[in-house]
Amino acid sequence: MISLQVNGDEHTVDVPDTKPLLWVLREDLKLTGSKYGCGQALCGACTVHLDGQPTRACVVPVSAAAGHRIDTIEAVDQQRIGALVQQAWQALNVPQCGYCQSGQIMAATALLTSNPSPSDRDIDEAMSGNICRCGTYPRIRKAIHKIASEQL
Amino acid sequence: MDTMLKRRQFLRVTALAGGGLLVACGGGSSSSPSPTPPDSSNPDSAPGNGGDPAETFAVGEFLRISSDNSIRVLVGASEIGQGALTAIPMIVAEELDADWSRVTSAHSPVAAQFDNPYFGALQFTVASAATRGYFAAQRRAGAAVRHMLIAAAAERWNVEPSTLRTEKSFVIDDANQRSASYGDLAEAAAAQNVPINPPLKDPANYTIIGSTRQRLDAVRKTNGSEIYGMDVDIPGMLTAVIARPPRFFGQPQSVNSNAALAIPGVLEVFTIPSGVAVIANDFWSAEQGRKALEVSWNEALAGRTDSAQTRSNYQASLNLPGVPVRSDGAVLLAQAAASDVLSADYFFPFMAHAAMEPLNVTVDYTGSAAEIWTGSQSQTIDRLFAASILGLLPEQINFHTMTSGGGFGRRGNPLSDYVRDACHVAKTLQQPVKVIWTREDDMKGGYYRPAASVRVSAALDNNGTITAWTHRAVTQDVTSSLYFEEQLDTLAEMELPPLGELNDLETGMPYAIDNVHMDAHLTLIPQMPSLWMRSVNKFSDVFAQETFIDEIAHRYSRDPYHYRREMLGNNPRLLAVLDGVAQAANWGNPPAGRSQGIALIAHWQSYIAQVVEVSVTGDRELKVHRVVSAIDCGTAVNPDLVVAQVESGVIFALSSVLFGEIELRDGVVQQSNFDDYPVLRMHQTPQIDTVLMPSGDNPGGVGEIGVPAVGPALANAIFAATGEQIRELPLKNLNFVIA
Repeated sequence: MISLQVNGDEHTVDVPDTKPLLWVLREDLKLTGSKYGCGQALCGACTVHLDGQPTRACVVPVSAAAGHRIDTIEAVDQQRIGALVQQAWQALNVPQCGYCQSGQIMAATALLTSNPSPSDRDIDEAMSGNICRCGTYPRIRKAIHKIASEQL
Repeated sequence: MDTMLKRRQFLRVTALAGGGLLVACGGGSSSSPSPTPPDSSNPDSAPGNGGDPAETFAVGEFLRISSDNSIRVLVGASEIGQGALTAIPMIVAEELDADWSRVTSAHSPVAAQFDNPYFGALQFTVASAATRGYFAAQRRAGAAVRHMLIAAAAERWNVEPSTLRTEKSFVIDDANQRSASYGDLAEAAAAQNVPINPPLKDPANYTIIGSTRQRLDAVRKTNGSEIYGMDVDIPGMLTAVIARPPRFFGQPQSVNSNAALAIPGVLEVFTIPSGVAVIANDFWSAEQGRKALEVSWNEALAGRTDSAQTRSNYQASLNLPGVPVRSDGAVLLAQAAASDVLSADYFFPFMAHAAMEPLNVTVDYTGSAAEIWTGSQSQTIDRLFAASILGLLPEQINFHTMTSGGGFGRRGNPLSDYVRDACHVAKTLQQPVKVIWTREDDMKGGYYRPAASVRVSAALDNNGTITAWTHRAVTQDVTSSLYFEEQLDTLAEMELPPLGELNDLETGMPYAIDNVHMDAHLTLIPQMPSLWMRSVNKFSDVFAQETFIDEIAHRYSRDPYHYRREMLGNNPRLLAVLDGVAQAANWGNPPAGRSQGIALIAHWQSYIAQVVEVSVTGDRELKVHRVVSAIDCGTAVNPDLVVAQVESGVIFALSSVLFGEIELRDGVVQQSNFDDYPVLRMHQTPQIDTVLMPSGDNPGGVGEIGVPAVGPALANAIFAATGEQIRELPLKNLNFVIA
């Protein structure tokens, strides 16, 4: 049995130690907002926060996540910056298919939390691990700048 | 098509118990009500929390006005990111004069009433045809219901209908200073006669069409609550992965499942036609089980396609005449009289769609009925194949079209490969099961954009005027797998678009050239599954055409923009976007150190010209700085969605042009994930500017139009910078370092 702290709640799951955190969130805790895209930390669709740090949940064995604070897209609105990111995403019509956007929002929230005024280069560095096949990158960049200039 | 449109003019309007009205569109309205809500898997779509059964949608009913004045529209097109579930309701809402803030939408069930008129008897979200296909029928439906609401109010107030107007879901009687909401009038409106040919709005009076509106799914797609096929969870559901042969259409010969079955959570291993299914309680166990599986494959009939061999075969075919696609004037005479004849050969590799959501299907098959949940661009045909495999009638299958995490054509396979796989698993299992493809399964699973070779030639007079143009394409018939399997019987009862349209080889070469000959070789390689991918053959054909135009312009010291301009005198819409993009991009005056390239295409009833700005360093570091597009899509139903689609097309094209290549060696796909099949990332994304120049004509398609001209405009910019002629893709293979 493994204990996890997810979005402020304690959960106990009976799964193999090696099962990736992503699949525990999706299958065992029914939190399907974090997406499976590549399984190898190449696309960022599974990004969650582990103790506030953006982390690819698809390659983190669940046992390694125990004892850490895990935050997912389902509760990111409880962070002030997370809610701002969601609102900016909506205002700029960022999502298209939307499948990568949970990961994008978690990555952007982490960026803006640690750096309230990111440069384009900062955005490149923080966001280039998150693939979007619909090509929403220009709007993501714009949304991040919008939050930084208007609300932080 | 005419018959189809006439049939579609028929609406069936019924009152809802407790107020409100339902509108059913098109024929076949005798269908009995669906036993369950068509989209019960979507939490947002459960009407009234499953309350009054009279509030449940029935098959075919596409519009509901509820007594609380909310309006819900069911959409027959698939939401694959393009905004179909926003744009199509906007069309109905416009003619209805609805209060847009109270409109919601969801996917329709699979039913004839929801077929896309563009294709006839199919729900099929391909060919940039959602908005333009549904436009006319949705307008008529909205106008008819508005007419009935006015008639109901006129009856209630005992006034002439012509004295009433509508605004934001109210009928208003200005003379007597009174109004009634649509929700209030709905029940009475349902009793009115349905007008056969309701007058439509003058587009000058549009208030919703042509205005930017937030996507109706924007909130769900930013808080993790949108339910994709991958997220479907039903009681008792198992998870399956399928071990597939290393070469396409290999067959499992012997299977040792002992080690797989020893993995905790793995329940069953069995063979299906396409491979070996591993069934488990959860994905991770299934995946571990598959890794432990030992399978030997019979590859006697397996595909042995080899990229290098394909290229050399196609190159040889370029020397042979193909099947004519277009023939104007007398090319041979013009060539004989020309002062110069130039030609160039091009090659384009296989490419994978690589949508963000890997393929997946959930099937609940009980023996006498089934439910299927999947992101699909081709639900009508998918359901038909599912029925044939499960031994059911199509009507016995409740097919839930899920929001797709991208499609790009891969989820619109007329062979329904991934749905068939899942149905074979479910038929054996007779228990709810989700078949999940990993990224590697998806990347190696075939149905790629086919490789292609193109040869273009131009005959020229002394002034550099093109007197004859030829274009020969060699590529694979994207329907060729149809000939391989026993699918034709299943498809025989379908009204499929003609194969010519599926392959869509007309390139729309727009220039005023008197003598034109275009032909094509469509090779049949049944063991090499190919499929349309966003912009289909326009990706390769327009690349060749538009880069070659620049080579000619350069040879005769002509500016590529002006050279094109002079050949577009008869094409005012293309000329307008060409001038538009030249102005927006400040053509001819790039920032220091940068070069520009220009290209254009008209297709899908839309027109676009694009300018790409690059820099290339001495050590071949290639940086794409800016892409400017000018587009005329007739009517931009939701302008911001059009801009988003152009941005999307540009980035999709850059991924393909810079990196896109699936390589096969002796039948084995070499790529597996985003490490060896890279796509564009944030740091490589240029500034993208898009100018809308809508002419006001009927809406054209916008999902693909942003793609084909980007590659040639980029290659032309490299040509301008370095003099290097780009004759093959992707650019990473030409030793460019992508910055």
